Amino acid sequence: MSEERETRLYMISPRSMLTPDQLVRMVHAFGDKALVKETCYGCLVEAPRSENLAILAKVREEYPNEVFSKIRAYRCSDPRRCRAQHGTRPGFAQLEEEWALLAKIQYGLDQVEKGAKYKPLDDKKRLDVNAFKKICEVQ
Amino acid sequence: MTIKIAQLSCGTEYSSVQYEIEKAARSVGATIVYPDVSAADIDKAVADFGFKPRSPQLKLMIARAEALASGRYEADAVFITTCFRCAEAALVRNELRRYIQEHTNLPVVTYSFTERLKASQLLTRMEALVTIVTRKELLARERQTGLTVGLDSGSSTTKAVVMENNKIIGKDWTPSGAVVIESATQVLNNALEQAGVTLDQIEAIGTTGYGRFTLGEHFKAKLVQEELTVNSKGAVWLANRQKGEATIIDIGGMDNKAITVRDGIPDNFTMGGICAGASGRFLQMTSNRLKIDITELGKLADKGDWRNAKMNSYCSVFGIQDLVTTLGEGKKFEDVACAACHSVAEQVYEQQLQEIDVRHPIIQVGGTSLISGLVTQIGEVLGEQPIVPPDSQYIGAVGGALLSSGFL
Amino acid sequence: MKIFIDPPNSLVLFDLVERFGHEPLSTMAAIQERVDNLEVDMPPMNVTLDDVVKGLKYAGIEVPSGVRGRLALWGPLIEEADAAIVMEDCPYSFGCVGCERSNLMVKYLIHRRGIPTLMVKYPETDEEAVNFVAQAKEWMEGLK
Repeated sequence: MSEERETRLYMISPRSMLTPDQLVRMVHAFGDKALVKETCYGCLVEAPRSENLAILAKVREEYPNEVFSKIRAYRCSDPRRCRAQHGTRPGFAQLEEEWALLAKIQYGLDQVEKGAKYKPLDDKKRLDVNAFKKICEVQ
Repeated sequence: MTIKIAQLSCGTEYSSVQYEIEKAARSVGATIVYPDVSAADIDKAVADFGFKPRSPQLKLMIARAEALASGRYEADAVFITTCFRCAEAALVRNELRRYIQEHTNLPVVTYSFTERLKASQLLTRMEALVTIVTRKELLARERQTGLTVGLDSGSSTTKAVVMENNKIIGKDWTPSGAVVIESATQVLNNALEQAGVTLDQIEAIGTTGYGRFTLGEHFKAKLVQEELTVNSKGAVWLANRQKGEATIIDIGGMDNKAITVRDGIPDNFTMGGICAGASGRFLQMTSNRLKIDITELGKLADKGDWRNAKMNSYCSVFGIQDLVTTLGEGKKFEDVACAACHSVAEQVYEQQLQEIDVRHPIIQVGGTSLISGLVTQIGEVLGEQPIVPPDSQYIGAVGGALLSSGFL
Repeated sequence: MKIFIDPPNSLVLFDLVERFGHEPLSTMAAIQERVDNLEVDMPPMNVTLDDVVKGLKYAGIEVPSGVRGRLALWGPLIEEADAAIVMEDCPYSFGCVGCERSNLMVKYLIHRRGIPTLMVKYPETDEEAVNFVAQAKEWMEGLK
């Protein structure tokens, strides 16, 4: 199981000063068997699962809250999903949107590390009908 | 030159049909592409378009359509397809088809698929898209020249036409047999005899219909082309409507076609019928049940009133059940014949004509246009009597003869 | 524990589940299983007619094929999951989560399984993001 191919996508938070190039160099330094492909948002890393997990641990150690990762179903440059073959696939827009969210998640992770706790928020309630009536009357 | 067909779709990859779509495109020398859009484009395009679907993939379709309409992304044709039975997608699909037609000159075809879709079902549609893109000049041809033959190998009948200097000089048809070459040879020989010419004098042959490839190879045809574009050329030639707009309705033996044309060149079409219920096949079944020849059905139907014998031909099995029930109830034959024609007309209206914008005049062609009761009912359902040109059953063969003369 | 993430292709949820010591169950794994199968040639995803037919377990034949195909991918993952984390009101949901009907059904299937489920709101501000991360972390630590 641990030797099974795993392709992992690393994405750098927009709040980070890290560049894809720096990330790629770091990954190269740790992964002998890894195929690393630099992308505009970070990199793709293809390696046996055990090695990928070791790389992930190192990335977390070096850049704990500014690099995010998930697995990718397709191998690097798989023509079935390659942008050059057909144009962008639907998941591309999703990655773009999630990339923007990473800035907030990075901030969240930093604050939680500093001890921030979960505070249940009051659900937004609809305006009471009598209060609304009063507003209308004032107008 | 590889033709780029832009795909605007939802659900294809999860319905196991994406491969079939690409296979159909490849087999006609085209490739499927997805217009590039960014996440920011999507929100803006949806806001501008004004229809805000709940499903994000449909929003992406809208953004991709906008990329084509604005010219930011270039393609040669558009294929819009969504899951069958999804109401949200059906609304978006049709409105995007309209939007693309209003904002571009690209040929468009729409399709709703089930997981059983196979490439062969899309082949004719894809081929027509490619023909419209690559053979614009040929399709603009208005006059037949020289001595040429058109062969139309349809699912129900096989037709041959011999033309010389823009006139039909020989023609024949026969019910299609098991061997398409045999049926074609028979009608060709009869048409040649009528024309008083021999095969070796013929300068070019054009084939169309389901058997077009087999016939094309056998008769060494100069033109082997799908029936959507060929039939529409034949229709406007026969109806003498080469200029301006028109809608061509062709209720075939196995499927129905509705094609819109501008100056004789098709720009949008639908083809289909969920099953044979809404096609000429149902009328054939009705005739058999009434024990009359199909040629008598139309006149009989014109004497009846469909309101007296309600029938639904959405599915040929249920349609026949309705037929059996109404006959069992002792309804008059003329009312039953009229109801069968009305039912087919309604289905054509509900299925084919919802996927195109009907342009006037309406030209009805194909073998079924000889069934007067069906033409009457199409007129009643559409609120406008269609034009039925002379020799309307020969559209495919005439189109083949006309277009093949472009290769002389 | 195995935690099903919804949206099933979310980078943020996948990352957080792994970061806080659990195994995320995602679309990517389900698709990897298919695209690596060299015996099937149904690109791009190798979702086959068989898959769509298997989707009938979750939705009837009157339901569009795209919904059944998606449920065929996620249904087994939901059945395998020990818990689930669901992010609601995501502004992003393209690709495999592009069909709203399928997305509704996934949430229902999670609910029906009765496994521990954390429903979180998509964070709009930095403060909401702090709360979101803290809530996810505390919930996942509690699952151990």
